Amino acid sequence: MKIKVIVASVIVVAFVIFGSYSFLESNVEYTDLAGAMAKSKKVQLKGTWVKEKPSSFDPSKSQFTFYMADEAGRECKVVLDGAAPNNFELATSVVAKGRYVRDGEYFHASEVLTKCPSKYEAQADEVKKAG
Amino acid sequence: MLGGILVKVTFVLCLTSVLSYFLHHLRGTPGALTLGRWTYRFAALAIVGTAATLLTLILTHQFQYAYVWSYSSRELSTPLLVSTFYAGQEGSFMLWTLFTSLIGLFLIRHSGKMGYESAVMSIYGLITLSLVLMLIAKNPFTYVWDNWAGEVKEGFVPANGRGLNPLLQNYWMVIHPQVLFSGFAAMAVPYSYAVAALMKRDYARWIKPATPWLAFAGLVLGLGIMMGGFWAYETLGWGGYWGWDPVENSSLVPWLVCIAALHTTLSQRKTGGFIRTNLVLTMLTFMMVLYSTFLTRSGVLGDTSVHSFVDPGMWVYWLLISLIVVFLGIGAALLVSRWKEIPWPKIHRQSSTSQFLDYFTSREFALFLGASALFLLAILISFGTSTPVITDILQGKKSAIDISFYATWSVPFGIAIGLLTGLAQVLWWSKSDRRSVLRSLSTPLFLALVSTIVVSVLVLPTFGMTFVLFGAFFALFSNIQVGARVVRGNPKFMGGAVAHVGLAIMILGFVASSAYDNKQTVSLARGTPVETLGYRLTYVGYQPMDNERYAFHVTVERDGNAFTIAPVMYYSSYSDGLMRNPDILNRLTHDFYLAPLSLEEPGADSVSAVTGVFHIGDSRTIAGLQISFIGFELPETHMTSTMSNQDLTIGARFSVAIAGSPAVQIVPAKHVHNGKVSDVPARFADRYEVQIVKLTPDTENRQNSTVEIAVSDLLHPVNGGASPDILVAEASVKPFINLVWAGLIILLVGFGVTIVRRSQEASHKNDLKEETS
Repeated sequence: MKIKVIVASVIVVAFVIFGSYSFLESNVEYTDLAGAMAKSKKVQLKGTWVKEKPSSFDPSKSQFTFYMADEAGRECKVVLDGAAPNNFELATSVVAKGRYVRDGEYFHASEVLTKCPSKYEAQADEVKKAG
Repeated sequence: MLGGILVKVTFVLCLTSVLSYFLHHLRGTPGALTLGRWTYRFAALAIVGTAATLLTLILTHQFQYAYVWSYSSRELSTPLLVSTFYAGQEGSFMLWTLFTSLIGLFLIRHSGKMGYESAVMSIYGLITLSLVLMLIAKNPFTYVWDNWAGEVKEGFVPANGRGLNPLLQNYWMVIHPQVLFSGFAAMAVPYSYAVAALMKRDYARWIKPATPWLAFAGLVLGLGIMMGGFWAYETLGWGGYWGWDPVENSSLVPWLVCIAALHTTLSQRKTGGFIRTNLVLTMLTFMMVLYSTFLTRSGVLGDTSVHSFVDPGMWVYWLLISLIVVFLGIGAALLVSRWKEIPWPKIHRQSSTSQFLDYFTSREFALFLGASALFLLAILISFGTSTPVITDILQGKKSAIDISFYATWSVPFGIAIGLLTGLAQVLWWSKSDRRSVLRSLSTPLFLALVSTIVVSVLVLPTFGMTFVLFGAFFALFSNIQVGARVVRGNPKFMGGAVAHVGLAIMILGFVASSAYDNKQTVSLARGTPVETLGYRLTYVGYQPMDNERYAFHVTVERDGNAFTIAPVMYYSSYSDGLMRNPDILNRLTHDFYLAPLSLEEPGADSVSAVTGVFHIGDSRTIAGLQISFIGFELPETHMTSTMSNQDLTIGARFSVAIAGSPAVQIVPAKHVHNGKVSDVPARFADRYEVQIVKLTPDTENRQNSTVEIAVSDLLHPVNGGASPDILVAEASVKPFINLVWAGLIILLVGFGVTIVRRSQEASHKNDLKEETS
C-alpha cells in the first residue's frame, strides 16, 4: 500500500509542478496594445476594426492587413496570416491572437476572432417577421 | 401543452420510483420494490411520450412552439427535420433523458440478477430525475408568445421557422448526437453500481455487472468522439480531426476516465485489489460527464472559443452546479464514511525486498500506472478547458489557453501510454516470472527498435517524437504477439489485445498526421497553376451548387495524375457569414486537404476605386486622371421606351486625359432591361475602369443633374486588363491519416469483443475464468 501511495504522490507532485508551469506559459492573456508591446509572449489583443484606414489582402504573401484600435483607443497595424476572417465587416469587435513585432511596428496575428451581434439567440421581432 | 404536462407527470413518477426504491433498500418493504419498478417503467413511458410529442410538433411544423420555430423550417428534408429535435439545448437534454430512461429499463432487470436493484435504481432514478428537472427548467414546449412575453401576440403562429444552422445541415448531425448521448447516458450506470456498492457495503461483487457497462459506455462514447472528429475534419474544415476545442474535450475527458476505470476494474477482478481506486474512478467518470456538461452548457466559457456558447439562463446554470454538488456529495460522503471498513486485500501488504520487487513487476502495477497516466491526462485536459473559469476567478476576466498546451503534453503522455500498453500485456498478475517476461519482451522490443530506427532515418523526427514512435511500435508488436497467442486459445479473450493494437496504430497515425502535417496558405489566381507541397494546383472557376452554395473547382496534379476537388464556400443568410467546407483528396498514404479561406474579386474591390460627383461642365482630377463631364446621353425615344418596357440605355459622356496626353471621350452607361438595371462600364487606356455609381437627374433644371462615378485602377493588366478572381485557400498534406481512422476502428472492435465476453461473465454465475490475456 505504501509503495503505491509514494509512487502516486511523486507522480502527482511532479505533474502539478510541470502542469502549472506549462499552464502559465500557454495561457493567452487578453491585453491592450501597451501590454502587447511590453510582452514577447503570444497575447490576445481586443479592440475594433478602424474602417477608415486601408485594409487589403496581399495574394503573394497570403496576408491580410488592417488597422485596429484597442480598448484604450490606440491604433495599430495588424498583419494576419490568411484571408479576412469570417463576418469581418459585421463584427462589433475583433480579437487578434499573436505577437507585437517591434521592428515592423505591427501586430502579427496568427488568428483573428470576430464577435458579432449574436444571431443564434432568436429575437422576438424575428418571430414577428416570420408571420 | 401535452408535452409540458407529460414532463411534470414524469417528474412525479420518477420521484415516487426513487423514494420507493430507497425505502425498499432501507427497510426491505416488498411493496415498495414493486411500486419503484412500475413507477420507473411508467416514467420511462412518459418520457418516450414526451419525446414523441416533440417529434410530432417538429414534423408537423407547429411553429407556435418557440423550440420548433427556432431550429426548423418547412424547407428541411425529413432526416434533417428529425435532427432538429436535438439542435438546441432543450432537445438535446430531452434526448439524453430519453436514452437514460431507456437504459434504465434494462438496468432494472440487469441489477435485479445481482440483488442490487433497489440500491442501483434509487441512484439511477435520481439521475433520471435530475435530467427531468432540467427539462422542466428548459422546457421545449414553450409557446412563442410565452417565450417573448409582451412582444409577441398570444395565439400567433409564425408561417415558417427560422431554420437549422447550415453548419449542422449534414448527415453527421443526423447520427452523431444520438451516439454521444447514449454514451453519456450509459456512464450513469457504473456510477450507480459504485454508489450502490457503498450503500450495500458490498465492495467486491459490484465490479462484475459494472464492467460491461463501463466498456459499453467507452465504446459508444469512443464512437461518438470519432464521428465528431471525422465531421470536423471532413465537413467543418477545422483543418484536422482534433482541435482541442471545449466541445471536443468535454467528450474526451469522461472517456479517458472511463478507460482508466476499465483498466483498474480489470485488476480488481483478478487480484481483488484497487477497490477504492475503482470506486473513485468509476464515480469520477460520471462526475466528468456532469462537469463537462456544465462547462459547455452553462455559458461559463463565454466567448473564448469558436463555438458560441449560449447562455441558458440562471436556472440551468444553478441546476447544473447543484447536480455536480449532489452527485459528488453522495459519492464522497459514502466513500469517506465507509473508507476504513473497505478491506485492504492481502496482496498489498508487502514488506520484504523481493515482494517489493514483485509488486513493481506485476501486471496490476503496470495497469495502475497506465490508469494513472490516462487519469492525469484527463485532469490536464479538463484543467485546460476550464481556463476561462479559472482566469475569471483569479484575474476577473476570461481568457483561454493556447492549444499548444495540449500538444506539448500529449508527447510525454503518448510515450508513457505506449510503453505501458506494451509492457502490461507481457507482465503477469501478482508476480511475474522474470525470465519468461524477458523472453516475451525481447521480440517486440527488438522489432520496435528496428522500426523506430528505420522510420527515424527516413523522416528525422524530433527527440520527443522518436520516443512516442518507439512506444507505439512496442505496444503494437507486443500486443500482436499476445493477440496471436490468445487467438489460438480462446478468441473471445482477444478484446484487450485487439484494442491495444488499434491504439498503437492510432498513436502512429497521430504522430504522422500531426507532426508531419505540412500547411501552406495559397492564393490561386484563376487559370494560373501554383506549385505547393509537391502538388500543382490550378483554380478553374466556381459553379453554383444550389440556391446558396458555390463549389470552387481546383485541379490537383501530381506525378502526371490529375484530380479535381471542389471545396465549397457560400454566404449564409442564417448566420450572416461566410461558410466554408473543405475538400479532400484521399490517397492511401496521405490526404491532400484544401480548405477555402476566401475569394478575392478584384472587380469588386472597393479599396482601389475612387468616386466623384459631377455636374455638367465640371472638371476634376480623380485617381490621376483629368476628367470632365460633358453631358448625359439619352436615347431619342426616352419616354416611350420606359413605358413599353423596352431596353433603355442612359449614358454619361466624359472627356478623360492623363497628364501630357490628348483627351479621349468615354461613355459609361446604365442599361435597363425588363426593369433590371445593369452597368456598362467604360475603359480608359486599358488600365482604368469608369463606372456610374449613381444618377441624379433633375428634369426641371438640367444643370442641377449630377452623376457619381467610380474610377478603378486595374493594376493587374493580366489577360488584356481584366484581373482574374483569386481563390485563397489553406492547402495541407496529412500523411498516414488513414492510420488514425483504421486504428480507431480496430480499437472499437476490441471494445466490442470485450463487452461480449464481460457481459457473458456477468450473466453466468460461475466465477472468474482463467485468463490468458
